Amino acid sequence: MLVEAGHFALALALALSLIQFVVPLWGARANDPVLMAVAPASALAVLACVGFSFLALTCAYLASDFSVVNVVQNSHSAKPLIYKISGVWGNHEGSMLLWVLILALFGGVVALSRNSVPMRLQANTLAVQAAVTVAFLLFILTTSNPFTRMIPPAPEGQDLNPLLQDPGLAIHPPLLYIGYVGFSISFAFACAALIDGRIDAVWARIVRPWTLGAWAFLTLGIAMGSYWAYYELGWGGWWFWDPVENASLMPWLAGTALMHSTVVMEKRDALKVWTILLAILTFSLSLLGTFLVRSGVLTSVHSFAVDPARGTFILVILILFIGGSLTLFAWRAPLLRQGGLFAPVSREGALVLNNLFLATACATVFIGTLYPLALEVLTGEKISVGAPFFNFTFLPLIVPLLLLLPLGQTLAWKRGNFLGTAQRLYAVFGVSLLATILLFAFTYGGPVAAPLGIGLGVYLVLGSLNEIVTRSWSKGTPLAVAWRKARGLPRSAWGTAIAHAGVGLTVIGIAATAWGVEGLGTLKIGERLKAGDYEVRLERVIPRVEANYREDVAVLTVFGSGREVGTLETMKRLYVTRGMPTTEAGILTTGLGQVYASLGEVQPDGSVGIRLYHKPLVLLIWIGSLVMAIGGGISLTDRRLRIGAPVRAKAVPAAVPAE
Amino acid sequence: MVIWIILLMMTAAAVMAVLWPLSRRHAVAHQGDPDTQFYREQVAEIERDLGRGVLLPSEAEAARAEAARRLLRARGLPDEGSVAVGEPALRRRRAASALALSVVPILALATYEIYGSPQLLTQPPGARMQQASEGGNLMQAVAQIEEHLARNPQDGRGWEVIAPVYVRMGRIEDAVRAYEAAVRYQSPDAGRLANYGEALVLARDGLISAEAQAVFEQAVKLDPSAPKPRFYLARAAVQDGQTDKAKAAYLELLGLAPPGAPWAEAVRQELAALGAPQPEPAPSAAAPVGPEAIQGMVAGLASRLEAQGGTAEEWARLMRSYVVLGQRDKAVDAAKRARQSLAQDAQGLKAIDAMAQELKLTDAQP
Amino acid sequence: MTRKQRRLTLIGAAGCVLAIALGLVLYAMNDTIVFFNSPADIQAKNVAPGTRIRLGGLVKEGSVQRGADQQITFEVMDAQAAIKVSYKGLLPDLFREGQGVVAEGVLESPSVFRADSVLAKHDENYMPREVADTLKKQGHWQGEASAAPKTQ
Repeated sequence: MLVEAGHFALALALALSLIQFVVPLWGARANDPVLMAVAPASALAVLACVGFSFLALTCAYLASDFSVVNVVQNSHSAKPLIYKISGVWGNHEGSMLLWVLILALFGGVVALSRNSVPMRLQANTLAVQAAVTVAFLLFILTTSNPFTRMIPPAPEGQDLNPLLQDPGLAIHPPLLYIGYVGFSISFAFACAALIDGRIDAVWARIVRPWTLGAWAFLTLGIAMGSYWAYYELGWGGWWFWDPVENASLMPWLAGTALMHSTVVMEKRDALKVWTILLAILTFSLSLLGTFLVRSGVLTSVHSFAVDPARGTFILVILILFIGGSLTLFAWRAPLLRQGGLFAPVSREGALVLNNLFLATACATVFIGTLYPLALEVLTGEKISVGAPFFNFTFLPLIVPLLLLLPLGQTLAWKRGNFLGTAQRLYAVFGVSLLATILLFAFTYGGPVAAPLGIGLGVYLVLGSLNEIVTRSWSKGTPLAVAWRKARGLPRSAWGTAIAHAGVGLTVIGIAATAWGVEGLGTLKIGERLKAGDYEVRLERVIPRVEANYREDVAVLTVFGSGREVGTLETMKRLYVTRGMPTTEAGILTTGLGQVYASLGEVQPDGSVGIRLYHKPLVLLIWIGSLVMAIGGGISLTDRRLRIGAPVRAKAVPAAVPAE
Repeated sequence: MVIWIILLMMTAAAVMAVLWPLSRRHAVAHQGDPDTQFYREQVAEIERDLGRGVLLPSEAEAARAEAARRLLRARGLPDEGSVAVGEPALRRRRAASALALSVVPILALATYEIYGSPQLLTQPPGARMQQASEGGNLMQAVAQIEEHLARNPQDGRGWEVIAPVYVRMGRIEDAVRAYEAAVRYQSPDAGRLANYGEALVLARDGLISAEAQAVFEQAVKLDPSAPKPRFYLARAAVQDGQTDKAKAAYLELLGLAPPGAPWAEAVRQELAALGAPQPEPAPSAAAPVGPEAIQGMVAGLASRLEAQGGTAEEWARLMRSYVVLGQRDKAVDAAKRARQSLAQDAQGLKAIDAMAQELKLTDAQP
Repeated sequence: MTRKQRRLTLIGAAGCVLAIALGLVLYAMNDTIVFFNSPADIQAKNVAPGTRIRLGGLVKEGSVQRGADQQITFEVMDAQAAIKVSYKGLLPDLFREGQGVVAEGVLESPSVFRADSVLAKHDENYMPREVADTLKKQGHWQGEASAAPKTQ
């Protein structure tokens, strides 16, 4: 009964979204506040309906209602509670419902921010957002309905894929979706600005938190997915340039660019047209990402044939929104007023350069991801575009961006002084260079990439800290005063510095992977295997039987430079009834590095294949991402009204630009 | 009934959510112009920063100038003012209300009618509860067998018991594995192999893979008369594009069909899909061919067998046809002739005996 | 600087970055792209030894040999040809004889392939897409039929 009510609520949400799409647009056009007021009211009603619907599905999962096909296919009455809940979005239908729920939730938040958003902007934004909701609800109801019933009910469900029964993967999709859908709000605001033909700093101020929040969540989601792949797939890699990963990286790159250009717009009223375009592109890439993954185009071009309705529907939505918004852009963008002026060497100029590099890098990822698909559809030739392609095209675009980052962050608004800025970074240059040379000397003969990359990372971290230091302390200032001044700095300044330091940490972690070593061997009990300074000894191999799987556990003692540092267990599991084998990697964390072992086949004579890795500083990759997201969050809490005060041409270079 | 009232109330609430803002004539309080508000606050902020010493006076001055410029620009925009009064506004409001009143209930109910399962709303909850508890019991049984099999994976009998349960639960992959184990750990048996093959086919959404085909062939080798593997082999022929072979195989299969065999209808449908003429439809089926035609066909078969002899299968088919037509004496006669004609063929004789037994032609025993 | 000059600077910088990116992409397209081949393709196309390719097909039953230190050899076959693959490392969980596999590495001679990675998807009934397509092309989907029973 609850399930049917939930289903009906979804249908109701569709009808309400249609009203929310039509009436406010009409109201904004006729300039009628009464009609425009329909927007927030209906947005809240849609939220109530979709929320109820999601709740109904969750209840069906909790109660193991096996008259619902979706529950049968993805749940099991004996499954732990957390996986019953995460099973709701651990499948195509449920995850699309979660998508719409987040969309409706954000729509509700926009509807409630009545006092800070001008009425016309709010009405138009909610109308555009309703259009997205209508498309997705139609998609869910017609092709991916989670409420489809099964008569008579199945006696038991088919359970969730064991690989997905993992806490990491339970929260990964919601994080990613909050990111994707957050960008839909920026998109809706951009389209609303185009419809209205008006965009200004007020707009940027309203959009900034959405972009920042979406970006922070997307960062977390990507990092979470990467760490899951690292420990669960047992290959020791943390990023594979797999199309599914690229599908989330592209909106992240575009979103990062958008976040920075919004700053320029808010403070300097410049880059308006570009910001609008970026907002559209970011959400388009989010849509593309969602659908590349959801439609199965990536795992197989032919799954389009398996479910033609779904694939076609997806394509229509993509064309409709991307084509529609770009047409709107081409038509209305020329009407937007030109913004403030700035010199090429200035904070704005640096941010333009940042956008340029990020957008280009995003384009190369786009080409590398879609080219094989296009080629196969057009010529039938099958190719794989892997890590070598991306390393070759992506890195040369990102490294210059990172090199310029601390400089840009230090430049003044409107017109900057390049030399003066560089002077403020002398110490940073020096220390990073010294670090690189020292590392190089100590690891002479090792890979060159590691010291260089780590030097770059150190430079980024120090450059970010330098920004805080120079803004609060100059020669002769007592420390107490400097501290007070630093604490008085706007939170957005802290957020920026922290996020940029996070980038530096991630870069260090990535660069240090060049020092990673691995060993491979067939071990008998008591035999040893070496990987760099670390060594393991196979103690025993024990079979173990658990509720739903059998496993062979290899117990290894780990020695670091001859001393025993711990033990780790790596398993080969067989999920009995599904007959599905998995490898569970054994991981021992030593400081920021990890010793990582995965188990191969157990031979008839009792020896086992072991692959052993030592990955120094590998945790920094994810710690850095976390720090980035935290920086974003801190910046998000800054609700001050900011204006980028230009420094007078004659002002001393060391003068602090105001935030 | 209650549920329909709830659904109607939900609809009413949704419509009200739209109508409510439309009904408030003057209610939209004049919102302070957010633009000028924004810049005023910005200027105030600059003053505060100056006071705290975060800004240098020269910077503050520049920032103020910038904010003032933007404020002027924002104000310079033509303010059209809201038009919420007058006749046209009233008409707009009525039109919007009518739209909400009609679109929301109609669209929602229509969508639900198409995609939902309203017929379930009236099912008494008690029945569902019972089903659920049965499911629970079955589940426990399955869990027990699974546990047993985890410990004794070589118990082919156990695998065979659980396999059809998996099929019914929709766990086709598991069923395939269970049947595979059942086949592996037990002596070869046509029925078991056929079930295994069928599970393989289900797992591939109806596609008969090479693996499944091999299994069916093995089953037919063990028992040439088993209908299930022969049926799937015929379908495999269809998938290979060998329509004629498939037709022949289906026709043969129909000939083998005992009266009222549940699968005969499926075979007929397959044949119809191939565009083949429908031979000797069972009397239970709505026969498009009259009894005379059947008589004719049976007579044709009889005279051919009389004249040229034939396989045991053909003789058996003739016997059954007579039984179907209610001519038992002729069936007995056919059995006798078959035995004569197949005297050299021990296998064939056995098949005829089996058929005679099946048709209960006791008086035809030699 | 006038507005026009500023705009020119901007366009110039954008042009430079885009040109560099385009150059990199085009160069990488020539150099880093790996083609997918089945054993029959390798024979038909006369793929030169030393080429980096992805090889896909079915693991021939009974061909897997495990040597010392995880040195493994097996044969990958399709309906028409077979090729010997040597690989050092751990095989993926779902690697099985008679099942589809994709290996990436270097073709050493027309009949020997040295793989540096062997892929199998995390799905028990997964047939790598490229493999499935090739088999489909070489006859019906049951083209697989002509391949599989031979080895049984």
